[in-house]
Amino acid sequence: MQPAPTRITPSRAKQLNRNLGQFFWLLLFLGIPLALYSLWVVYPTIRTFTLAFTNYDGLSPPQWIGWANFKELFDWRPGGGGEVLKQALIHNLIWILVFITVPTSAGLALALVLNQGVRFDRFLKIAFYLPLVLAPVVTAMVWGWIYHPQQGLLNTVIYEILRFVHFIGFNVDPESARSIGWLGDPNLSLISVIAAAVWRQVGYVMVLYLAGLKTLDSEVLEAAKVDGAEGFNLFRYMILPMLAPVTTIVIVISIVDSLRSFDLVNVMTNGGPFNTSEVLANYMVKASFHDYRQGFGAAIAVILFLITFVFSVIYLRQVMSQEERTA
Amino acid sequence: MRRKVWLFAALGAFMLVGLSQSNLSGPLIYNSNQSDPKPRAFDTKVVDAFKKKYPGIQMEFNTVDHETFQDTSIRTYLASNNPPDVLTWFAGNRMRAFSSRDLAMDITDVWKSNNWEKVVPKGFQALSKDSSGKYVFLPVSYYWWAVYYRKDIFAKLGLKEPKTWDEFLAVSKKLKDAGYIPIANAAKETWPQGGWFDFLDMRVNGPEFHKDLTDGKIPYTDPRVKKVFTYWAQLVNNKYLLENPASYTWQDAANLMIQGKAAMYLMGDFIRDQYPADRAAAELDFFRFPIIDPKVPIGEEAPTDGYFIPAKAKNVANAKAFMSFLGSKEVAEMAAQDLGRLPVRNDVDVKTLFKDKPYVQKGIAILDQADLIMQFYDRDTVPEMARIGMDGFVRFLSQPNQVDSILADLETARKRIFSQ
Amino acid sequence: MSATATAQPQLRVRKVRKGPNPWVLGVVWVFALLWLIPFVGAIITSFRTFDDLNTRGFWSIPQELTLNNFVRAWNQAGVSRYLLNSFEITLPALAIAILFSSMCAYGLVRFRFRLSTPIYLMFVAGLMLPFQVLLLPVFFLANKLHIYDTLWALILFHSAFQLAFCTFVLRNFMKTIPFSLFESALIDGANEWIIFRRIALPLLLPGLAALATLEFTWIFNDYLWAIVLLQSDQLKPITTGLANLRGQYISDWPLMVAGSLIATVPTLIVFFALQRYFIDGLTVGATKG
Repeated sequence: MQPAPTRITPSRAKQLNRNLGQFFWLLLFLGIPLALYSLWVVYPTIRTFTLAFTNYDGLSPPQWIGWANFKELFDWRPGGGGEVLKQALIHNLIWILVFITVPTSAGLALALVLNQGVRFDRFLKIAFYLPLVLAPVVTAMVWGWIYHPQQGLLNTVIYEILRFVHFIGFNVDPESARSIGWLGDPNLSLISVIAAAVWRQVGYVMVLYLAGLKTLDSEVLEAAKVDGAEGFNLFRYMILPMLAPVTTIVIVISIVDSLRSFDLVNVMTNGGPFNTSEVLANYMVKASFHDYRQGFGAAIAVILFLITFVFSVIYLRQVMSQEERTA
Repeated sequence: MRRKVWLFAALGAFMLVGLSQSNLSGPLIYNSNQSDPKPRAFDTKVVDAFKKKYPGIQMEFNTVDHETFQDTSIRTYLASNNPPDVLTWFAGNRMRAFSSRDLAMDITDVWKSNNWEKVVPKGFQALSKDSSGKYVFLPVSYYWWAVYYRKDIFAKLGLKEPKTWDEFLAVSKKLKDAGYIPIANAAKETWPQGGWFDFLDMRVNGPEFHKDLTDGKIPYTDPRVKKVFTYWAQLVNNKYLLENPASYTWQDAANLMIQGKAAMYLMGDFIRDQYPADRAAAELDFFRFPIIDPKVPIGEEAPTDGYFIPAKAKNVANAKAFMSFLGSKEVAEMAAQDLGRLPVRNDVDVKTLFKDKPYVQKGIAILDQADLIMQFYDRDTVPEMARIGMDGFVRFLSQPNQVDSILADLETARKRIFSQ
Repeated sequence: MSATATAQPQLRVRKVRKGPNPWVLGVVWVFALLWLIPFVGAIITSFRTFDDLNTRGFWSIPQELTLNNFVRAWNQAGVSRYLLNSFEITLPALAIAILFSSMCAYGLVRFRFRLSTPIYLMFVAGLMLPFQVLLLPVFFLANKLHIYDTLWALILFHSAFQLAFCTFVLRNFMKTIPFSLFESALIDGANEWIIFRRIALPLLLPGLAALATLEFTWIFNDYLWAIVLLQSDQLKPITTGLANLRGQYISDWPLMVAGSLIATVPTLIVFFALQRYFIDGLTVGATKG
């Protein structure tokens, strides 16, 4: 970063002039956008936070009830007001764990391979990227067919495999494949939804890493190669450290996307069966709208926001300090 | 504000009574949740007929899909400064949720001027009033719930419609032995399980008990409630009910029946809309939910649909004219003919109207024999309890031996929710 | 840095190197084809008849193909009008979001002032906000401003909400432009607006294109906000029109998929038109701040 321009101005009057000028330009560039943002995003956010301390039902005027919503949310006994919150937190955590491992490594691997000048690389990149273009409702619908117990692709494939196993003499009933309910089985529902989300996320991560690889200093890499580094060592000791800033972004995006996950859950299972695939954002919508408990929903939102806010601050500190180093 | 509304109302009544009807002018907005092809076509027909009658009114007619309408849209409509003038909605507790918050307009004058009290049975009148006895809702149609079954499969196996629980179990066993899924079931949306619970509880403990339970007056840990689940467990443990119901939407499960894989299905009469029309007459039939304890009075379910005017509606005179039209005999006959829904008005000649639909008489007979008619679990109890309750029922289907812990959880929830 | 951020040929040079292990490449191909299965499924289904699908199942070979679903979806869902509404919402919102966020980004990078970090933090926090939180408060705001049930409500909200992500990305892009470029233009007598217009924006073009693709998709695919901020059918975007196809009583899959595919076409066109920037250019700035 260059030294601030004010330092080179000689006289105080000129500096004042310059400051005024800068103020004018700042106002011009930031004024309207900030006003728009404050009105439509910051103000409603603050309102949500105040609603968290009310019994607002979305219909009649809210009444202040202090911390009651939060007390209820931390009643984690079975049947208590926070039982589902606890389940949803755990599911979001599982979601995070899957997201920072599976799509991250798959996306990195794809980027590494496709960056090496492969034939038809554009086709391959687009194939992995396309899921992001689809409307979430369509994604959920198609995955619904994949998971359908009677006619779904997955069970049909399993059925054919079992038929083959049966054919070569093992005692299995191929029809049993039809009873696997991917989205309806309490033990499978969460992971089945996450699988669809991973399908969508891999391309995103791949693109981030492709961009990251492009910015790597090829001279440094060539020098390392001349020094005899190759294969896994080159990757482990040269490429990966150089990609560290991208990895930070990817991991933060994965965490934030996991915490915000809503659309696929909402359409594919709506959190069911009996909350076994419930996540925070979907639970919040349910409480606010279905249950007529906007205030309670706002309290969930506050908790969700605090969690994401911690991550955003950690992320910003990392990025900002990096910027200072490179400046 | 209040005064103004009254002024408008008075003006509206005056215009209705005093002036020729076609003198009405200005806008009228009607938002409907009837998004499926058949009901939507009917809606359009009604709107067109109304437009012809009142050419001076500029009518705007919007359709929102069912789920979105009830979960999201209705909130913003009622809270906005310029809400639609007429909305579709449900009788009973769902309506009371709005009227108790002064969000529905008093339409007593519309009821009086149309003499609806003479043609609408008392039970429906009660469903249409707010807590102070003013009319806020116009019920127009209802439908019955029953156990639907494949006539042809029953005939092939020589089975008869079961009347009692034991017969029901026997029929299920025969169907299972013959390789069918005896009873289709769906729990991807949880409401079908609300139906199961309603019927079982009404048959085991009687409809009055069930009403108290949905009103939050009886603990879910009451041994009488637990008894309900012993009957339900007989179906689950014998695998008479479709396994893995949470994987199926209710239409998926209906398709199993259409494909001839499943033989019975506890459902509302709207299943007919899903069933191929050319096959329904030969294949689809239904019977009353089997009697478990003959000493217990009989309860049935008949969810009732209708219309109301939001309190903040702007075009009150036009809205009331439209309500009068919607509640007229003319429209009731049209609805019965086109959709096969039962009209609330008792001056509609259902016998001749449904001459070619013998099943309607059967449905009416089921409701006629009932001692008490309920709306439905998710309409009779408060929304949060309904959600948690039906989640619990779904959990019971996959963990039938956990019934004690499930009911204990429901009881914790009931105490919390009804104390608020 | 600006040279590498904007120049494309680097990737081509790498092509000379020997490619990856053929086994690895084979695995990549298998996965790429697996990744496409849902699309193939959707496309084939959209050309099938309802009966064919019902009797044979989703993943069978169709007996007959028909265009009828597209025709029906077009007519039943009122696609043509809804599609127009979608564009009338998406394009202005996109333009406002992109213009304002590039202004913001320029302001944040170009000037050093005390509030710069808090403002940036505010945008990042907004980017991480679960937006469902805001549904009712935003509705009340629109109602108070008397723009509920107008396209303005959607346009203004979308552009404001997307400002967060756009500013976040563009600020990082902007950081890659050498400060000296701005300073020398200033000495040549240009004012800040001209520098922004003539120097900053052209250098940001690849990033802007990438961003526009993403934002177009997100705003175009929105469903929830249209429900909350609109009540008249004549204003609704295509996504809500499609929701009406999702019947309570009948699940006519071929019809719904055909409708969904029609609704995806605009986003696909935008994607293919701009994908060159997208695949190659996104987050070049963001990754090297």
